[in-house]
Amino acid sequence: MIYLFQVLNGIGLGMLYFLLAVGLSVVFGLLQFVNFAHGAFYLLGAYLTYDLTTRGFSFWLAMPMATLIVACIAAVIEALLLHRIYKLPHTFHILVTVGLALVIQEMVIIAWGPLGGSVPAPDGLQGVVIWGDFIYPQYRLFTIGLTAVLAGLLWWLLEGTRLGAIVRGGSESPSNMALLGYNTLRINTAVFGFGAGLAGLAGALAAPIRGVEPFMGIEALSVAFVVVVIGGMGSYTGALVAGLLVGVVQSVMTTLWPEGARLMIYIGMALVIALMPRGLLGRA
Amino acid sequence: MIDRRRFLTTSALAATALAVPGLLTRAHAAGEALKIGIPVPISGAFAANGKFATMGALMAAEEVAAAHGVQASTLDLDTEGKPATAVRKVQDAMAQDGVKLFAGGILSSESLAMGKEIERGGGAFMTTAGADEITGVDCNKATFRWSVPTYGAINETVRPIIDALPDAKKWYTITPQYVFGDGLLNAAKDVFAEKGIEHVGNSYHSLTDKEFSGYLTNAIAAQPDVLLLLNFGAQSSDTLRQAVSFGLKQRMTIVVAWASGLEQFEALGPDICEGVYFGAQYWHGADTALNRELVAKVQEKHGSNPNYSFAGSYICAKLLLEAAVKAGSPEGAGVAAALRGLKYEGLTGAEEIRAADHQVIKDYYLLKGKAKADMANKDDYAEIISSGKSFLSPEDAGCAMPA
Repeated sequence: MIYLFQVLNGIGLGMLYFLLAVGLSVVFGLLQFVNFAHGAFYLLGAYLTYDLTTRGFSFWLAMPMATLIVACIAAVIEALLLHRIYKLPHTFHILVTVGLALVIQEMVIIAWGPLGGSVPAPDGLQGVVIWGDFIYPQYRLFTIGLTAVLAGLLWWLLEGTRLGAIVRGGSESPSNMALLGYNTLRINTAVFGFGAGLAGLAGALAAPIRGVEPFMGIEALSVAFVVVVIGGMGSYTGALVAGLLVGVVQSVMTTLWPEGARLMIYIGMALVIALMPRGLLGRA
Repeated sequence: MIDRRRFLTTSALAATALAVPGLLTRAHAAGEALKIGIPVPISGAFAANGKFATMGALMAAEEVAAAHGVQASTLDLDTEGKPATAVRKVQDAMAQDGVKLFAGGILSSESLAMGKEIERGGGAFMTTAGADEITGVDCNKATFRWSVPTYGAINETVRPIIDALPDAKKWYTITPQYVFGDGLLNAAKDVFAEKGIEHVGNSYHSLTDKEFSGYLTNAIAAQPDVLLLLNFGAQSSDTLRQAVSFGLKQRMTIVVAWASGLEQFEALGPDICEGVYFGAQYWHGADTALNRELVAKVQEKHGSNPNYSFAGSYICAKLLLEAAVKAGSPEGAGVAAALRGLKYEGLTGAEEIRAADHQVIKDYYLLKGKAKADMANKDDYAEIISSGKSFLSPEDAGCAMPA
């Protein structure tokens, strides 16, 4: 029975991991840009939610506001700085985005201090659901449901709309899209802001579960990269499958081999790399 | 297009760069007479503790300088919470800056490594880290410890709660897998065996874990009366926060054996702390002469109350610097001689540095979180339930102090 509970708990974890990783995957898949500031946008989303709820805003208002602010900040950074380095080697992408992540992290410490804080779950979701011996927080159940809805919406947006087709076209052949009259620079800015906004949303949703502390972005980035590598770089479905897989493996291992639970997700990543070099659902 | 191999290589490099910033090393007033190194994590998961520790040490240096008419300064060394980095920073400070005095080492693993290095370099080191080994089997001439080790922490938290809750017979533990966690766990198991408590399970976790829902699910399945958290800092905050969200506060008593006190309560907030038991090395509300003095000074200078990281670092730095003044030199042998057997009025009342193993004999507190409505001021998160001194004898701790 305990393993069934751990699988259910793992699905909850996995949906959060998916939301965290999908923005990174989308940005990589469409822009071929390795964004090491992704964890910092998650951090910013969490802290903005913390700040707004501390100021008396409802969580239901704070969450979308934080997401939007992070997306706007990221879009401005992309338009002013990052688009200048797209054509440079990937080493430059990493240098600049790691620097950006450190700047954001230090700014968070300056603004909110080194201690961190707690964000209460919103009213109506502060209790627990009990099934026999299994207890699960209502708020975590809500995040599973919301993330599932967002996953469907995101898929539809990218695969079923004209906007998604333009974005995908921009990634395949920017010059052809420019010849057709589309402003690819603006498309890139929007996609980058969108991906960062998803990280911000993941941070906002995670804040009532994990609280906030200035170094949470680093851990989030490492999980996001594991999910993206296992799922396949640039693959939306891969991020979903890998996020769930990582969450379930981590959760079940806390019963089977607790001290190695976290290690197992990295061993899993190594196995996927060895057996399926493009990831579970990666593009050639 | 970037290939997978390059992606992974560059990812690993960048992740390392992110995790090891090491940007915050700060030197104060080079070339002064007494310089004390403060090797603490200023970046990484325990950075908050380290930043307060540097502030506490600086206040101690300023006080000693003013009281004795000497020049005293601090040298902050960012250990990142990693033993290897801590040792390298200490080696550099001794070789390049001639530093002989060190107060710091928040994590046991880094303190154990640094203590050996400082002994080799002829210095003196005082730490607040908890593993029994520091003043036990790994004791040495240079290393002193202010905080109560894991044995005392467990005995001053678990025993009073067992006495207060005689029907709570089943306990579950969550433990970080390193020397400090194992020390707490072993001490807890000894008390359980002595008191007839059933230890219904333990979950080990790594030092990098942030997500504890799986471990809590294990604990729920074991149906304990008491959940005993044996982790420290941000990890114990994360565990407690998630335990409360799983509704465990209503189903069992929760005990955090080694809390970092005020800084942890501020991060958690009163709603999470209410009704939870916390073991603590220091509490700003303790009614002792030196503590009242420190609280007044910190409120005047920083506009806040001192927390454990601040106070622990303050007292370690103060004791070392005053010993160096008394010895007339910062050399380790003289400082150690001045410290051994010293009795003084400390932050927790009467304190004594036991000569045989360099362990400070002091009180450990059992606190209980207050309801928000009962808080007299913004920092009045907890009340002192009990306090006392529990220590293994130097022989039982396994200390054979080198001659």
